[in-house]
Amino acid sequence: MVDEQQSPPLLDVQGIAFGYDRQPLLYDVHMQVRRGEMVGLLGPNGSGKTTLLRLISGVLHPQQGTILLEGKDLQTWGRRGIARRVAVVPQELHMPFAFTVEQMVNLGRTPYLNLLGTRTKEDQRIVEHALQAADISPLAGRIFNELSGGERQRVIVALALAQQPALLLLDEPTSHLDIKYQIDVLELVQRLNRETGVTVIAAMHDLNLAARYFPRLLLFQRGVVADATPAEVLEPQLLRRVYGVHVQVGILRGAEYLSVLPPGSDFSANNHQEETQPRVHVMAGGGSGELLMRALADAHIPFSAGALNIGDSDHTLALRLAHEVVTEQPYTHLSPATLEKVRSQLMHAAVLVVCPMPVGPGNLPLLQAAVEAAQRGVKVLLLAPTSEGIPLSSDVHIPGEDSLLQQSGIAARDYTNGEGVKLIGALLQAGASLVSSVGEAVDVTKTCAIL
Amino acid sequence: MNRAPTKTVYTPWKSWPATIQTLPASLILIALGVALLAAIFLAVSFGSTSIPIGIIAQILLNSTGVFHFARQWDPATELIVLQLRLPVVIGTGLVGVGLSVAGVLFQGMLRNPLADPYLIGTSSGAALGAAIAFVLPYDTIYGTYFPLTPVLAFVGAMITVLFVYALARVGGQTPVVTLLLAGVVINSVLVAFQTLLLTLSPHALVGLQGLFSWLSGGVAVTTWSPVVIVGSIILVGIAFSLLFSGVLDAFGLGEESAAYLGLHVGGYKLLIIMVGSLLAAAAVSISGLIGFVGLVVPHVIRLLFGPRHRLLIPASALAGAIFLILADLLARVVIAPAVLPVGVFTALVGAPFFLFLLRSNKRAYRW
Repeated sequence: MVDEQQSPPLLDVQGIAFGYDRQPLLYDVHMQVRRGEMVGLLGPNGSGKTTLLRLISGVLHPQQGTILLEGKDLQTWGRRGIARRVAVVPQELHMPFAFTVEQMVNLGRTPYLNLLGTRTKEDQRIVEHALQAADISPLAGRIFNELSGGERQRVIVALALAQQPALLLLDEPTSHLDIKYQIDVLELVQRLNRETGVTVIAAMHDLNLAARYFPRLLLFQRGVVADATPAEVLEPQLLRRVYGVHVQVGILRGAEYLSVLPPGSDFSANNHQEETQPRVHVMAGGGSGELLMRALADAHIPFSAGALNIGDSDHTLALRLAHEVVTEQPYTHLSPATLEKVRSQLMHAAVLVVCPMPVGPGNLPLLQAAVEAAQRGVKVLLLAPTSEGIPLSSDVHIPGEDSLLQQSGIAARDYTNGEGVKLIGALLQAGASLVSSVGEAVDVTKTCAIL
Repeated sequence: MNRAPTKTVYTPWKSWPATIQTLPASLILIALGVALLAAIFLAVSFGSTSIPIGIIAQILLNSTGVFHFARQWDPATELIVLQLRLPVVIGTGLVGVGLSVAGVLFQGMLRNPLADPYLIGTSSGAALGAAIAFVLPYDTIYGTYFPLTPVLAFVGAMITVLFVYALARVGGQTPVVTLLLAGVVINSVLVAFQTLLLTLSPHALVGLQGLFSWLSGGVAVTTWSPVVIVGSIILVGIAFSLLFSGVLDAFGLGEESAAYLGLHVGGYKLLIIMVGSLLAAAAVSISGLIGFVGLVVPHVIRLLFGPRHRLLIPASALAGAIFLILADLLARVVIAPAVLPVGVFTALVGAPFFLFLLRSNKRAYRW
């Protein structure tokens, strides 16, 4: 036990970022996995689970940050080196040719073969062992394509085992299978984890199966939102924010494990009304809300946040900390429907904190909504940029405007040809006050929101 | 390991190869080698004057310098065997080898049992090269050492493949779909060029006749030198192909999974395309466009002996040679003394057979 803690973790993902076509998809992902762990990776479609697995398997390279495998940078292992340590079980595998099961599993030895591809007795022994471990020795002579979906998935697991990996990555291994085979495959993986100590990271779409088989769950939405035991991660509020759906979580009578269920219609309505709406709303973006949201959470002040684009680092953080998050699709301007959600949040709010976010055409309507709220009597706080945030540029002088507007630093982060500046001016006129630090913002919020 | 036949009931067509598949690879290859020798003897023996196989054997053994059988035959016969028929038969066999192995490489890399060695531009590039050769007023280059047509056909095929590959490269990757589409587009552009060239050229009529017989496919060698050159290119290609056999097996799982197995997928893809095109271009240069060999031979071998490339590649090479030598023989014999272009013959025989396979094995064609 002591040894295990002193040696480097098997996998150490250090602040990686990645995007296809220059559009960021993953932000600042940190995670550590020790040998022998079994980790379930949860997250809605498009949350970047598969991309994360591909990064860990080395077929994609992170644009920022590093991934350490056994304490060494993944890239320095080389493709073959990685393939001897990390094996991937994809969702589905098509084999256009009539390979037998044994021949398929033999392919798992590819990273160990020399140029001529000669197979040794040792290779044969390992293949036989993999066939036995996956319980498919009787199928060895069968044609892979003629097997059932569950049997095929076992063959693919055996192929991965023939790579003798320290880390087994599974990408939604059960998504195409009947429930019988889903359980079958997960039981197999769990048994392998316990018997051989192989470390497992599996992207899962079924929350119930994830709760049942994985002692550690990672909730993922372009970044790690939560990383803990099923009881902590499968929390209805958290799931609602990340998946955007109301669920009931509990232990069914006579069961051992947590269950996630869609609620009945009356439950959904009741629950929604009983919920106390947070009285503080935060508008942020581009990392400008990080300090404030952490401070509010530390002070146990429930708050809502948004609208935030998926993929924005503030969005990932808000999913973790905020009571309610208004979410917009990545890289799009605010849709009218989303704006309506923000407005209805503001109807309940007593305090609105506007963080020093960059203002562009995409989020300009947020400021309009803020002006409306201010005119309605909501206390609006404009958080001034700190020295470590966007610099307060004294060069930018706006003639004819008061010094408050200058202190808000809006001119430096306005990308709308002055529209943003006008709206901040309107906010100040409607009674918004400028706060110079996060601490001050939290203090004012406390007094106003709690009354 | 349990190699016993499984309980699943196969159709007779499928259970037959299932038993053959358990034979050791060496036995299969030796059997195919013997069959190839038999085909060569048969093909040399048939012709305007038929020569007994025993005499052919004696002539061949004598020419090795080890044996010295008493000469009981006409010196003209020896000339016919060694200088007229044998280069043609060996050349035909080499074309069969090149096309079949190229077919194996492309089918394995593209994961499609219906892929063809001509798929990504080899045929149209070679045809344009040949068209240029027929239009030009020269017949040979390097004095009379090497005829112009095969050289230009070979060069045209290789340039086209490189061009298609460069076109299909998107952001450091070469997706299969882009590759096929680029191949289709370039094919049609080159065919247009070829038509344009023949229409505008003053030598058009002569060229058209020559090009037509070239396009319909027939092995055109008259001396040993092109056979030796093409033969060495094809041997090198096969040596490389054998090194790729494990890689090709892994490619069957898909490029992503092949990468998970530690392979540099992009690099191997380029190498396999280049070696496959080299084989196809070498074959095309002395034969014109012979269809269906590269498609049918690997396919039948895969059905008979299984999909593993370590056996598939050498077995397809031998079977391709046998198939084309026999097809060429039949093309010469069927309506003798007239000679059918062997390309016509392989298409007439190959297409129905292929359709039969397609209908009886529908399940195997899921991509």
